[in-house]
Parts: sequence; structure tokens; C-alpha cells
Amino acid sequence: MNRSIVEVSDLSHTYMQGTPLAHRALNRVSMQAAKGECIAIIGHTGSGKSTLIQHLNGLFRPQAGKVIVNGLDVSDPKVDIKLLRRQVGLVFQNPEDQLFEKLVGDDIAYGPFKMGLPLAEVKERVEWAMELVGLSFEEMKDRPTFALSGGQKRKIALAGMLALRPKVLVLDEPTAGLDPRSRQELLQRIRRLNQEERLTVIFVSHNMEEVAQLAERVYVMALGQIACEGTPRQIFGNQEILREHHIGTPEAVDILYKLREQGYGVDPGAFLPEEAAAEILKLINR
Amino acid sequence: MEKGLTVRRIVIAGVLGAIAILLGVTRLGYIPVPTAAGNATIMHIPAVIGGIMEGWGVGMIIGLIFGVSSFLNATVPLFKDPLVAILPRLFIGVTAYFTYVGLKRTNEYFAIGAAGFVGAMTNTLLVLGMAVIRGYMTFGVAATVALTSGLPEAIVSVIVTLAVVATWKNLVKSGKQKSKISG
Amino acid sequence: MSAEFELSRNITIGQYLPTESVVHRLDPRFKLAAFVILILAIAICNTYVGNLFALVICISMFAVAKIPLHYGISGIKPAIPFIIILATLQLLFYGEIANGGTVYVQYGFITISSESIRLVLVSAMRFVEVIFLSSVLTLSTSTTELTHGMERLLGPLHKVKFPVHAFALIITIAIRFVPTFAMEMEKMMKAQASRGADFGTGEWWRIIRRTKDMLPIIIPLFNVALARAEDLILAMEARCYTPGASRTQYTHYKAQGKDYVALLTSIVISVIMLVIPW
Repeated sequence: MNRSIVEVSDLSHTYMQGTPLAHRALNRVSMQAAKGECIAIIGHTGSGKSTLIQHLNGLFRPQAGKVIVNGLDVSDPKVDIKLLRRQVGLVFQNPEDQLFEKLVGDDIAYGPFKMGLPLAEVKERVEWAMELVGLSFEEMKDRPTFALSGGQKRKIALAGMLALRPKVLVLDEPTAGLDPRSRQELLQRIRRLNQEERLTVIFVSHNMEEVAQLAERVYVMALGQIACEGTPRQIFGNQEILREHHIGTPEAVDILYKLREQGYGVDPGAFLPEEAAAEILKLINR
Repeated sequence: MEKGLTVRRIVIAGVLGAIAILLGVTRLGYIPVPTAAGNATIMHIPAVIGGIMEGWGVGMIIGLIFGVSSFLNATVPLFKDPLVAILPRLFIGVTAYFTYVGLKRTNEYFAIGAAGFVGAMTNTLLVLGMAVIRGYMTFGVAATVALTSGLPEAIVSVIVTLAVVATWKNLVKSGKQKSKISG
Repeated sequence: MSAEFELSRNITIGQYLPTESVVHRLDPRFKLAAFVILILAIAICNTYVGNLFALVICISMFAVAKIPLHYGISGIKPAIPFIIILATLQLLFYGEIANGGTVYVQYGFITISSESIRLVLVSAMRFVEVIFLSSVLTLSTSTTELTHGMERLLGPLHKVKFPVHAFALIITIAIRFVPTFAMEMEKMMKAQASRGADFGTGEWWRIIRRTKDMLPIIIPLFNVALARAEDLILAMEARCYTPGASRTQYTHYKAQGKDYVALLTSIVISVIMLVIPW
């Protein structure tokens, strides 16, 4: 395994510390991501996922514990926070809300311009980022931002983040609210970013199909702690874990579990539709 | 324009009123500038925008909400006086609306910008005028503040009003503008 | 450091403090009316004794409402430097304009007279009174009660075609959406910071640059708000909301003896403040 690019150890966070309303959102959380890995974080609303990922680019500083990203120590008050934020691209939920420039090209160029890059390089980065998310540079750069569809706006927001050329891409529910088609397309784009551009991807999701398709490793969060960790095969193949943490399962896994209940010998760890199909075919051809 | 308070006007007034309150309580409403006051406020801008979008009545109600909220949140004696904090604010959206309507035919952009300017100036001049009448400052001080603080505030107001209204009214048409990274 | 983005958690509007005192239980219509009367009296009154009297009343109001006085004092503390600066300016430069009164010091353009001293002391007292009074009101009345009270109080205006219900609804919508937009704003600040934005680090004299730095938050904030407005308009129209149509009230207020006493007391206090000649 490559060395870790993201290293979180014993991280705790309490909101409104020292007031009667204090609320412990993270409790001694540890996680790692190796370079080029694709990691999913799942868990119920309020389990601490958002708080955790906001530590990765220094929006929150660790109150206790350590967060080290690509050699930068987030808890160090003297750390170059702008450099950190360029290395960790954090894309919030419904990122299309954050667009503010009138023209698509300008919005994507906002980050690179803020870095103080020369025009030629900004242009090159914007073009690169737009192609990555599947927007034609020539065709789209002068279009008015606000006349576009939700799916396209989301791509623009993603491109705006990629134009910073982050080493780690952190996504909070990247496909929430998209139609099935845009959802599939965006997932393919993220997969390519991970596999072809060797970007480390960490994403939060409630959609288990998505987790099954993309993630190499899954962290399950509950009540501010990491409840368990493993490959999708380990997680989805273990009914006890699924029950204990009320994790939904991809449909393929559902079917396999149902078959097993009926007494058929299938492996529910086969979480991808193709693998599940193969398992079922094995049954039929037996 | 349709008369009276329609559902649309009620809701827009409420929502922009919420922003006026929010800008006041979070200090996002203040942009630091080099003046005696120390910052230029953008809290009057919801009233300006409400006036432009939905008429003077909506503008006036948002102005009232802004005024009451600045009265309740005030930390200086000047704005703990309802005659200074509330009364002048009623007119921000009204003058902005009439400026916009009067100039709309010449050029929409210009009309919006001018409304932003006039709205901000209404705020500055009426508040300061009231402050003089109520004895919080002398005319000389007020005139200095109007120049050093009112003018920057008006510039800020033009920029923000134009940006928000042009976006919302979809004034940007395809192919008319080029982005900074073009050409 | 991490507190820099925690906006929504720090906002207090209507900091209701339920101590269940008499003041809390007053009919909001009467409480609001009494409040308005007192505020107006304070705004008009410019005598020492009148304001001293008002100050004593305001302080004793905390006791009646069973609210610790430090809630009111905490509202004054941040203002002390401003008060001192303002007072100095008024003291030094206002003497000439405040006609009448004895002139004590006359040096160049600096004039200190009994009138300018009065102005300084009275406006400082006024400020404290208003802070105390509005603290008592907001600490003893929930925002819902306040809106209801205002709606009923303005009720008679309905006859002169003033849209009272619509007006109350606007206020309700405004108050309802502040926390929502605060969260949106917090998210927006974080999202823009994540892509390299910095807020207000430009040189302090570059006004346009500083304004433009704020646009990445302000424009999305307005957009989100206006989009919410469209949703709400649709939802209200779908449920056949008609402005101006009469509606059944869910809450009823019935004035009791204590409410009339409170109103009467406020009128008496105001009259006393205004007739005191010193």
C-alpha cells in the first residue's frame, strides 16, 4: 500500500464548547486514506460525517487529536491554510448554490485567479477542469451560469474545485438531488478522476449503490465514532454489521440475502450488479 | 404593475426582510472602509432590491424590518433612537423604486445601478439628517460622514445591487459577454 | 479559529428567558403598546430628572420581570467606547449650536455650555434606558407572541385598508427564515473558503476590491433566498392563500386586569417624565 495521504488520529470535536448546548460531534475518530484510494464515509444524519470532512481542509481545526494531510498538520496554527485548501478540494452538498459569477468560465477561474496564477495558466487549468467534468471549454466558457440546468451547474462547481488541482477530492453527497442520468454520469466522472488522474477521493453518501460502485474502502460512522471499516465486500457481506448500524444495502445485495434466506448458497458480498448476476446465474446453471 | 400585496409580494418582502435582519446580526452586513464609522453597511440593500423587484410598498416594509432590527441590535446611542434607526429606513426602498422605474426605459443596467446608489444615499442622508435634528452630531460632522462614509457605501451598494438583480433577472444574455479567460 | 464560521450557532434574536413573571404573562398586545409609549416618551424627554426617573423605572422592571440585570448590562458594555467618543465630540463641538444655557468654556471653536453637557448626559441616559427596556421586552416575550401582539394591535388599521394580516405574515416569514439563511450563509462561506476565497483581507482602503470579495457570499445568499421565495409562493398559492381574506385565529388573547394596569402605568410614567421641568 502507498503511504497515507490523509491521516486522522483520535480526532474529537465539540460544538459550542463550554456552553450548556455543547454537543460532541466527533469522538476519537481515526481514519486513513492512501494515495489514490477511493473511500466512502457512510452513516446516519448527525453521525459526524460532515464535521469530519470539514477538518480535512482546515475549516475546522482539531480540538483534540491530529489531522495530517499530505504532510500538512491541520492542528498547527501556523500551517499554510490556503495551501492546505488547494490540496484538499472540499465540495459541499448542492455545490451549484455557490456559483456567483455571471459566466461559466469566470466562476471556474475564481479559485485559480485567487491563487494569483498568470492568465495563461488559469486558462489552461479551467480548460483542463472543464474537460474532466465533461463540459466543452469553447462552447461553455462564455455561457451565462444561471440559465443552466442543475446537473450542469453541479459540474461547473466541481470543475471550479478541480481547477485548483487538489491532491485529495472530498465530496459531500455528490449526487444528491440529481436525476438518474446525471447521477450516473457524475459517478463515472468521479471514478475516472480517481483512476486516471490518480486523485484520492473521499466521499460521503447515503446511496449504497453509489458506495458499492465507487468505493474501495468504507468507513461507517455512528454517534461521532467510526463504527467499523472495511471493503464494500466486507461491509455488505456482513449482515450483523448491516443490522447493527441500520445500513441500507444495494439492491443487488438485497436480492442475494433474500435468496440465501430461501436456502440458496450465494455470496451476498457480491455487491456489484454484474457479480450478483453471476452469482444468480451460477444458481440457475447448477 | 398589479396593485396591493399579492402572495408574491408578501413572500419576497418576508424573505428579503430575513436577509436584512441576518446581515445586521452577523456583521457580514459591514464592509470595512476607512471612515469614522469604520465600515460601510450593506444592510439597506435588501430594501433596495425589494423596491426594484416588487415596488415601493415592499421596499418600505423591508426598510421597516431593517430599521427595527438595527434599532434592537444597536450598540451605539445614535441607533437606539427610533427616530434615527427606523424612520429614515422606510424611504430607502421607495426612492430606489422610483429611480429604477424612472430610468428603466433608458437602460436597465443603468437604472438598477442608479437605484442602488439612490437607495444608499437615501439611507445616509436621512439618517444623518435625523442625527443632526436629534442632536447627536453637528452639521459639519454629519456632512463629513456623508462624504467619507456615504459615498463609499453608495459605491458598494451599486456593485452589490447590480450583481444580485442582474443575476436574478437573468439579464446576462448568451453570447453578449466574454469571460475573463476568453481571448 | 474554528469559530470563524460558526455563525448560525451564535445568532440570538428574541432571546426569550422564561422566568414566568407577571411581565412574561402580560397580554402581548398591551405589553407592546406600553413598550412603544415608553420608548416614545424616552425619545422626547430631555430633562435630567425625567431621565433619571425613567432609568430607575427601567432597572426596577428587571426585578419585576425576574430577569438578572446583567442581561441588560451586557447590552451596554460593547457600546461604552462609542459613548465616550460621541460624548466627547458632543461636549466639545455642540456648545455653539445648543443655544441657550450658560457657556462655561469658550476656546476657539470649542464651546462647552450647560446645554451641551445636558445633551451628553441625557443621550447617554436615554441609550441605557432604551437598551434596558428592549432587553426586558425581548427577554420576556417570545417572537411569536410579539408578532401576534403586533398584528392585533394594528388590527384597527384594517378599517383604513392597511393590510394588517399581510404585514404580520411578512414579519413571521422574515423571522422564520433568519436561521435558515444563516445556515446557508455559513455553508456558503465555507464553500467559498474551500476554493480559495478570503474575506476582507484586501487593503482597507480598496473599497471596490473589498466589496467584490464579499460577492461570492452575498450573491449566492440572495439567490438561495429568492429561490426559496419562489417555492414558498408556489406552496402558498397551491393552498389557496388569499391576501386580505379573513382567517380564523388560532390563538386568542383576553385582556385582564393586570394588562390594563400595565398600560395605565406606562402612560402615567410617560406623563411624569414629560412634565418634570428639570
